[in-house]
Amino acid sequence: MSSEIIYGKARKVLVDDIDTDQIFHQSLLTIHNPEEIKPHIFGNLDGYRDFGKEDNAGKILVVGKNFGKGSTRQQAVTGFIAHRIKAIIGASFGPIYYSNAVNAGLLLIEVSEIANFSIEENDELEIDVTQSLLTNKTQGTNIKCERIPIPVLDIVEAGGLMSLGEKF
Amino acid sequence: MAGFTLIEKIIKKHTDASDEDVYPGNIVWINLDIVTARDYAGPQVIDLFLENYPGSKTFDSDKIIFTPDCYPYGNDPKHVKDQEKIRVFAKEHDIQVTDLGSGIGSHLLFRRGLSKPGEIAFGADSHYNILGALGILGQGAGDVMLAFAFKTGKSWIKIPETVKVKLEGKYTWPTTSKDLALYVLKQLHEYGITGKAVEFYGDVISELTIEDRVTLCSLITEASGMIGFVPADEVTAEYYKQFNIEIDLLTGDEAANYTSELTINIDNLGLYVACPPHPHNVKPIEEVVGTPINSIIIGSCTNGSASDIHQAAKILKGYQISSEVRFGIVPATREDFVEINLDGDMTIILEAGGNFFGAGCSTCAKGQYGLTGGVTAVTLTTGNRNTQGKIGPADVYLASPVVAAATAIEGKIAKPIIRDD
Repeated sequence: MSSEIIYGKARKVLVDDIDTDQIFHQSLLTIHNPEEIKPHIFGNLDGYRDFGKEDNAGKILVVGKNFGKGSTRQQAVTGFIAHRIKAIIGASFGPIYYSNAVNAGLLLIEVSEIANFSIEENDELEIDVTQSLLTNKTQGTNIKCERIPIPVLDIVEAGGLMSLGEKF
Repeated sequence: MAGFTLIEKIIKKHTDASDEDVYPGNIVWINLDIVTARDYAGPQVIDLFLENYPGSKTFDSDKIIFTPDCYPYGNDPKHVKDQEKIRVFAKEHDIQVTDLGSGIGSHLLFRRGLSKPGEIAFGADSHYNILGALGILGQGAGDVMLAFAFKTGKSWIKIPETVKVKLEGKYTWPTTSKDLALYVLKQLHEYGITGKAVEFYGDVISELTIEDRVTLCSLITEASGMIGFVPADEVTAEYYKQFNIEIDLLTGDEAANYTSELTINIDNLGLYVACPPHPHNVKPIEEVVGTPINSIIIGSCTNGSASDIHQAAKILKGYQISSEVRFGIVPATREDFVEINLDGDMTIILEAGGNFFGAGCSTCAKGQYGLTGGVTAVTLTTGNRNTQGKIGPADVYLASPVVAAATAIEGKIAKPIIRDD
């Protein structure tokens, strides 16, 4: 993979069970342009409604368990790519959300004990993709991540699934 | 290996990977039997297909269906344009469209015998896993996965761990499969099944109709599970006889590598209501009886079948819906509409003050947002999601068609009055 080490500052949204309707509400589903999706991200999540209007470029999003449960809507992934979020670290992800993210080239990292790993807002994080290790450089601590399956890395590296379509 | 779980067996039949590669956590490429898209996401699938594979044909136009079911009223000019885009593309590529009013795509796949046990079906619907009720590996997928599948007929799948769930005991009316589904959702959410498959077993299963099974499996998504299966049995085989389709009775191997086994006792099952703000916030109805409700919907892939509407009619017969309540019914498919028309349930509900809408996805889709109302419309629906703000700005409760009908009469969450007829 081209970027085996991913760096970024932490942006915490440590809430469990965030549904796709809290990420990108269904009343907006006719919007598909990434730049138009961007300001609405977390628009229906108490405490984070301004997220979409903030500058999150280059950050690593830190979320809780079951992130992205709910619908199949691709916009709930596209919005974070538009924000130029580098990766999302969470305790666990809804299975459809996981596929949608990988297919669009957004890396999701599972750390089941993320809630017990100290991360403050804007801490400097480093993800070693091949070693499956998350390091909090600000606090000098680290924790193992779930291994990322090779096909996932291949798809993310290719920039998403669509580019593989001609290979089959 | 000692054996395979049901999902592993289905995947094995659809992959070029070797048996050794079929284990939980691994990712394999699979060949899809059927790929669908609807008026939500379908247009984006078409755009992605045309942008990335210009001039290409689809992998097999007989294995693709467009099932516009989200916005049957086209109540936004954008939806009308999206639906037209689907018709134009479908015509050009010789793809079947089950057009507006046909109903929910996932339901049509079994109501019309378009998919059978042991197959893999992908669609832009997070409740496509309801097809697990018939032993079909149904999965919701996003725009990118579906556009890729249109071109290649393939997808990748992360093989899930499987939890074997035994339902011990039986329940009796007015408890219905929705109460079972809500109760099981609460247990499974606490137990933790994120990304996992579930196989249901137990004596009660053979007494559940296909519709009951669909309701049960429809709430697995709300526990963040991948799919719930009712392995195909005699009930399933009997169901497919109407299409002259013979099926394999595929089940998981006894010695398969199940992640865990869980027994859920359902002997004293009562009536349940999922309270705001999550579907898994399930409470016995006694805890919320009396909560004022002024908007009620019967519908969705969870409880929009003729048998569900029949449950409501049974309660409403001879009663009037409270003047404080707006009561909407959205049958899942045209077939369900015909059924309730023929058996008289439609008349019973109309006379009670109910309001029918064209077959489709009901409140779960944005296109029918207006079914619920504004900030003062506290809703009770037979659907599957009550996330705050999803289907209306006010609180939303989830319950069975029986509870929905009883609540409609009272104007507040109520238990049904049990009658002898």
